[in-house]
Amino acid sequence: MLLKDFLMKIINVFKWFFSVLGESHRSRVTELTSYEERELENIFILLLMGSFAGIPAPPAFLAVELFPFLEYELRILETRAKDSSDALAELAGLMDIG
Amino acid sequence: MKTFFFTGKGGTGKSTMASAAAWQLALMGKRVLAVSFDPAHNLGDIFGLKLSHKKKRFDKELYLMEVNLEKASAKYIKENINLLEGIYSYLKPFNMDRYFQILKYSPGIEEYASLTAMEELLRVEKENFDYIIIDTPPTGLTLRILALPVVTLSWIDRLKKIRGSILEKRYTIHNINGRISKEGIKLAYKEADDMVMKKLKEIEMRFMRLRIFLEGNNNSIVVVFNPDFLSLKESRRLINALKELKLPFRIAINNKVEDKYLKEAEEIEKKLLINNNCIKLMRIKRMEPPPKKAYTMVGSLTEILL
Repeated sequence: MLLKDFLMKIINVFKWFFSVLGESHRSRVTELTSYEERELENIFILLLMGSFAGIPAPPAFLAVELFPFLEYELRILETRAKDSSDALAELAGLMDIG
Repeated sequence: MKTFFFTGKGGTGKSTMASAAAWQLALMGKRVLAVSFDPAHNLGDIFGLKLSHKKKRFDKELYLMEVNLEKASAKYIKENINLLEGIYSYLKPFNMDRYFQILKYSPGIEEYASLTAMEELLRVEKENFDYIIIDTPPTGLTLRILALPVVTLSWIDRLKKIRGSILEKRYTIHNINGRISKEGIKLAYKEADDMVMKKLKEIEMRFMRLRIFLEGNNNSIVVVFNPDFLSLKESRRLINALKELKLPFRIAINNKVEDKYLKEAEEIEKKLLINNNCIKLMRIKRMEPPPKKAYTMVGSLTEILL
């Protein structure tokens, strides 16, 4: 009985180890896609609210009507604005440079 | 249901022609609604009635109404503030409406509110009337309102493409990672679940319907002009813009023509309607002194309307 418990514990540790390893691999694989997705979100919200940044913008009412559903995109816009001076470092980190 | 948009330079007699057209059609037994979108609101003055955004019966078959653009904008903004407050209820203590009130001064909101009011009017009243006669604001604002569906649709198309790419990427991430949520927000990865895409499609549908109607056979744009140089110049710009927007300019009315300047009037008509062979043209003589009931006093417009 004790041996069975011990073996179960070891199996669980292995399961946990491989799941973490798998997850880390999976997030490594999706890192570039996530970066692209984040940039697209940023472009989307920038286009929508372009008049604030001085770029050609769609009619204001489009932004007004979509505004309630863009909480996540607004957060990205804010983060990108804060990190804009460090964009090169983010890219270097993504490519494993340095 | 057929619609006629009476357009032209300020002071050419758009409202008079629109009210005469409405009156004459109603006399023929047609169910007619005459609506003014012009902030100057002459329609009520012409018929001697105080009008509001609720239709008022003038005669057996003729109803009148005036759309208040300021009220239409305020209604639109209120609806969106309510929606925002419903979703971001935690922001209520910050008196968000104070910030959003400023939206009414944002460029394009008034045009959009007018277009929304127009769309609603056409949708609600299409079964109730045979003809809807629309008295429009002066050229600049009218063109901006009528151009809105085309401009908006091209923006929506672009935004939909970007949103589509975002959802594709999210779908890939979801397939590999088994989930997609960031900063505590569960992100949609299918078009059917994405509220932004849904809203974009909903707005697209609304504008597409309006565009199809505006460009269709049941709609006609009437350009009212006067036989003078300034009116010719502005009407020419208007006609070119209508062509660009693919809007059906079908009728031209040369208003306030004097017998002694008939030759000049003919020349202006020729210059204006060059390359526009299919346009029905009507000439209305200047009336001295101006009649009290202007809507009863002009020539038979039904000849060119029907």
